[in-house]
Amino acid sequence: MDSPDNGAYMVAAYIVTAVVVLGYAVMLYLRIRKEKRRNT
Amino acid sequence: MTRRERALTTAHRGTIITGIALLGLVGVYVRALMFTPMERSQGLAQKIFYVHAPVAWAALLAFGITGLLSLLYLMLRDRKLDLIAAASAEVGVAFAVVMLTTGPLWGKPVWGTWWTWDARLTSTLFTFLLFVGYLVLRGALTDFEVRGRFSAVLGVMALVLVPFIHVTVYWFRTLHPDPVVMKPEAPSLPSVMLVTLLTSMAVCTLLYVGFIMQRYALAVLRDVREEEAAGGLS
Repeated sequence: MDSPDNGAYMVAAYIVTAVVVLGYAVMLYLRIRKEKRRNT
Repeated sequence: MTRRERALTTAHRGTIITGIALLGLVGVYVRALMFTPMERSQGLAQKIFYVHAPVAWAALLAFGITGLLSLLYLMLRDRKLDLIAAASAEVGVAFAVVMLTTGPLWGKPVWGTWWTWDARLTSTLFTFLLFVGYLVLRGALTDFEVRGRFSAVLGVMALVLVPFIHVTVYWFRTLHPDPVVMKPEAPSLPSVMLVTLLTSMAVCTLLYVGFIMQRYALAVLRDVREEEAAGGLS
């Protein structure tokens, strides 16, 4: 049995995951840095 | 140690844990894409499972913790509980965005449709929207007591919704597959796939811990600044 050719969906899902997780991590880091500046 | 100094320490530790978890995520990608065999009938799309299921676990864990802490806040009125509950809700929404994006990306090639209004998918979307509303509500209210009480009433609904989402695949006819790990019987996966899945779940849990520590520290830093500003005005 041949496997379906659907690798593009997998690539899209892994890219979305990386973008959202990394994006949120960077956003949190920048928000904390900004808050630290405002606190000093 | 002052409240501000404690928050800065928590933020620093949270950043380190997040960094370790992100490296772990790179490891999961390498293992899932290069060292885990492809499932023949579903093709490469089956590998979406290694990010979708762990992220869904982290999102529901986050919402569940928000629900639990909201209930405790309503009983104890401890400000710390409210701030951690809110931090967990925001992190849960971030994970839920991934869950609700990767799910349809798996559904289209495997089910033949991006979305279906069955019990599992609909209740998950409802929970996501509820917590988006939770965050909007918190942003709209300025008085701490009112904000804490109103959002806790909304947050406590997660205590019903999260277990409900888990059992929907048993109670209703749904396209969504049954759990492969979180069930009374032994996991129904070959060991090489199971190790990838469990590693990914551990990494997502670590990411959740790192994120929530940072988000909580941020909330405390804001709280301290607002308190100091209010003290300066009075």
